[in-house]
Amino acid sequence: MPEVVLEARDLWKDYGNVVALKGVSLKIREGEVKVVFGPSGSGKSTLLRCLAMLTKPTKGEVYLRGECLTAPGVDLNKARTRIGFVFQQILLFHHLTALDNVALGLRVVLKMPKEEARKKAMEALREVRMEKWADYYPAHLSGGQQQRVGIARALAMDPEVILFDEPTSSLDPELTGEVLDTIRQLAKEGRTMLIATHEMLFAREAADEMMFIDNGKILEVGPPEQFFTNPKTERARRFMARLLEKRGR
Amino acid sequence: MQFLLRYLPMFIDGFVMTVILTTVGLSVGFIIGVLAAIGDVYGGKVLSAIINAYVEFFRGSPLVVQLFIFYYSIPTLLNTLIDPFTAGCLVFILNSGAYQKGYIKGAIEAIGVDQMLAARSLGMTKFQAIRHVILPQALRIVIPSWTNEFCSLTKSTSVAIVITIRELTTVGYIVSAQTFRPMEVYAFVGLIYFLWIYAVVKMMDMLYKRVRIPGFIAEE
Repeated sequence: MPEVVLEARDLWKDYGNVVALKGVSLKIREGEVKVVFGPSGSGKSTLLRCLAMLTKPTKGEVYLRGECLTAPGVDLNKARTRIGFVFQQILLFHHLTALDNVALGLRVVLKMPKEEARKKAMEALREVRMEKWADYYPAHLSGGQQQRVGIARALAMDPEVILFDEPTSSLDPELTGEVLDTIRQLAKEGRTMLIATHEMLFAREAADEMMFIDNGKILEVGPPEQFFTNPKTERARRFMARLLEKRGR
Repeated sequence: MQFLLRYLPMFIDGFVMTVILTTVGLSVGFIIGVLAAIGDVYGGKVLSAIINAYVEFFRGSPLVVQLFIFYYSIPTLLNTLIDPFTAGCLVFILNSGAYQKGYIKGAIEAIGVDQMLAARSLGMTKFQAIRHVILPQALRIVIPSWTNEFCSLTKSTSVAIVITIRELTTVGYIVSAQTFRPMEVYAFVGLIYFLWIYAVVKMMDMLYKRVRIPGFIAEE
């Protein structure tokens, strides 16, 4: 079996009196594509943010290739360079061109010389087919183009795993397609990825495994076909029915 | 109006002093404003409380009182003397720093926590994120407020007359007393202030348009 890249053990997270995660455990192995889905407010974003250590879990551990990130004294900045993150709200740096958005982390964090960083950033933009828009500012790109730059920004750092937090939820259906194509391409290349999404048809073909999360707990895990043909839990079955009904209309 | 020409060297000296006081106050105040804003937004509760105590003192008391405190009270307390120029510079720096802190803090908060989050997700330290992501954006959108502070401080330096600094207004007062022609003198003084401020404001507007972040300000 391939090596485990990222692992969560019994993660809990509460925001004051709202408990967003109630003991979530999961493993993502080298080259695996996992999809996590579930209703709004079920804890998907919180889970992804905890895995990237962008917020601290209240309890439980996160391991990156066996190294415990939740232990005291760990260099989290270094760990975050190894975990790519793509945001639902995209969050490009407004004041930088597409190219500089991708190059900034390379220069500032990985201390690459300027020219080398630009070259590497250009390669990443090529990978998401955005090289023609390298000199455009985010405000002058469509939402789908912006998100592809967001993906390139994560890719350029050569992360060992990429976490996608509903990467197409802020896009209309037409723009959603181009972003999903990009992610599909990455899946084919064997990238290790965890994707929170409601795009079930995409999940069906791209995911090795799907996880259904509700109310801060993973209720069901299995291959995509299981969710499409015969979900084991009633809650997942009802949610799938809703999603597919919406698509069918 | 001929008599004004005779006093022109004095007016020029006064104007230069006004520009010096404003420039020192704005530039050093800017450094204080940036540091105080960062400390308030990203520092702990204690640091934030100290910064706000400083800001509220300088925003909440009259400039004249501040000048008297720095020129008379503090030196008396320390049993020493201070020259008017040094006292004036200190007050304008600290006063402007307090106001600029407010403007810059507002700009940092307008940029938002999400930009910070995106920067941190790439592995940047908080400091790197502030330096490369937050400040480059905040300092662009703060330019109009900063221009306002320039206008305000330029005129505020005229209060330095109360501690005998010979800036433009003080010179006007002296010339008016010597010539008994307050009408022309103060009109002239006012005109100099107006032209200077107008020229700088126009320049700042140009700068603002040049460095604006696409999408942040309406574009024609």
